[in-house]
Amino acid sequence: MADQPVSPTQDKYYFLVRRLHSLTGLVPVGIFLCVHLATNATVMAPGEPGAMFQESIERIHALGPLLVPVEIVGIFIPLLFHTLLGFQIIFTSRSNAQQYRYGGNVRYMLQRTSGMIAFVFILYHLWQMHWFGAGLGGGAFELHDEAGVATGAATTAAAIQSAWWVVWAYRLGIVATVFHLANGIWTSLITWGITIRPNTQRVSGYACTALGVVLCAVGLGALRGFATFDVTSADPEAVMSSGTRPAERG
Amino acid sequence: MSRTLEVKVLRQADPHSGSHWETFDVAYEAGMNVTTVMQRIAANPVTADHRDTTPVAYDACCLEEVCGACTMVINDRVRQACSALVDTLLADGAGVIEVRPMTKFPVIRDLVVDRSPMFQSLKRVKAWVRVDGYYDLGSGPRVTRQEQEEAYPLSRCMSCGCCVEACPQFNDHSAFIGPATISQAVLFNSHPTGKVDRDDRLAVLSGVGGIVDCGNSQNCVKVCPKDIPLTDSIAKAGRDTTTYKIRQWFGR
Ligand code: HEM
Ligand code: HEM
Ligand code: SF4
Ligand code: SF4
Ligand code: FES
Repeated sequence: MADQPVSPTQDKYYFLVRRLHSLTGLVPVGIFLCVHLATNATVMAPGEPGAMFQESIERIHALGPLLVPVEIVGIFIPLLFHTLLGFQIIFTSRSNAQQYRYGGNVRYMLQRTSGMIAFVFILYHLWQMHWFGAGLGGGAFELHDEAGVATGAATTAAAIQSAWWVVWAYRLGIVATVFHLANGIWTSLITWGITIRPNTQRVSGYACTALGVVLCAVGLGALRGFATFDVTSADPEAVMSSGTRPAERG
Repeated sequence: MSRTLEVKVLRQADPHSGSHWETFDVAYEAGMNVTTVMQRIAANPVTADHRDTTPVAYDACCLEEVCGACTMVINDRVRQACSALVDTLLADGAGVIEVRPMTKFPVIRDLVVDRSPMFQSLKRVKAWVRVDGYYDLGSGPRVTRQEQEEAYPLSRCMSCGCCVEACPQFNDHSAFIGPATISQAVLFNSHPTGKVDRDDRLAVLSGVGGIVDCGNSQNCVKVCPKDIPLTDSIAKAGRDTTTYKIRQWFGR
């Protein structure tokens, strides 16, 4: 509608860039979210508390020096691209869900809201858990302490138990990102022209709802596992200072 | 039974001045629609607080929901004034009838808007069948019953603007051409003779303001008075532009 001048280059790559937005949401970031929540849910596995979680993370960290480039190329760059373009998309939309209260319109509004919540949550979460938050007083997650004792689950749990509201921040983050992914899969099936008829879209809606409910249960279950994890069972020194000490990578 | 309707109208003298609300008392008549209400106001342009005013400017033509000229926002929902029955509005629980012009088009005066942006974008996607020459081209290609049944619903579009008015992606911060135009491009791409210009249409649909600017809120299909399956067209356009772009990149 707006008569902004459009350069031929912009016209040429516009489609590609927007299709990449859809793809990055689905493949690297979407799949990461599923795997990540499932991995975290292993904290509830029977046996030695946190042992299976430790084992799962060790398997990932077995990449050694390759881990950082894999994280950057596989997760952070696609996520950053998706986020930046997501904000650009949000700035060009004018939600009217107050005026036209149709289910689809409310989901359209929630897709944008949940994206913004996910953005804030991920920033907070990376600061809190990931080693590059360490210099800023975060970076709580440590796979091992200095003595080589496994502390993956204990440090994560300590961070989640560090204040009463942290669990609520995670609940919100999990619900928002899972909704965003499930609804995003539903819209992506239209975007790519796979579901065309209203009936097909209704069926895909049920499937995406089911996926969302399962993924939410997995995520919230994992969170419960960490929130109720007995942190005193781990090395007390590592746990007590885990929120503040710069982490060394295990 | 004599009964008075409270009618609020958002007025604007010309494209450049600001807008303000005026309230009118209009005598209720059985079976009246919002166009009738505007006629009654025009016959007696006096506001509820007894001030003389100008008649409310409005558009109307067919009076049977086929031209789209009378499209406006009535009680917060975009629709045609000629098919908006006062009884229905009252039954929906409205005590007041509130009428304002569409917000996505420039206002010319009061409820009259300039819908030419719709026609500009129809031109961009060549929403017509090119029949070249004045000589006898012979009979056209055969169209199956099934193709007719797919195409007919799309052909009912009257460019009224309801769909773009309700579309959150169609606004002055975006270059989006809107659902009606996408659907017309899909219609003419499905036509055996219209297919000649298929790639030209797909080029526009895959450019800035094209199909990727749809955010899948599906308001358009909900408000379309002609029940046009706009979201089917949008998904088809999503598929066709993808294959079109792949053909382009790989040198077809
Ligand atoms: C947890 C990480 C995220 C995942 C798994 C994810 C996934 C997705 C998926 C699958 C889609 C659907 C694409 C389509 O319709 O074709 C989508 C759309 C969208 N995402 Fe994300 N996303 C994430 C984070 C974000 C963030 C941080 C933002 C930034 C605010 C964001 C903003 C958006 C927007 C605005 C859309 C709608 C795009 C459209 O209507 O075309 N997302 N996302
Ligand atoms: C049950 C809730 C969650 C727990 C316990 C949890 C735990 C963790 C931990 C311990 C790490 C650090 C891993 C490492 O450094 O190797 C991490 C990294 C990360 N988390 Fe979560 N997380 C949760 C939910 C989420 C959610 C909902 C998202 C949203 C997308 C998310 C996104 C990320 C990202 C992007 C990273 C960095 C990726 C990487 O290190 O490879 N997490 N998480
Ligand atoms: S598609 Fe429907 S709502 Fe949109 S302009 Fe055509 S008739 Fe009006
Ligand atoms: S589905 Fe797309 S075109 Fe239709 S109202 Fe929503 S954003 Fe607009
Ligand atoms: S006057 Fe033609 S649609 Fe109302």
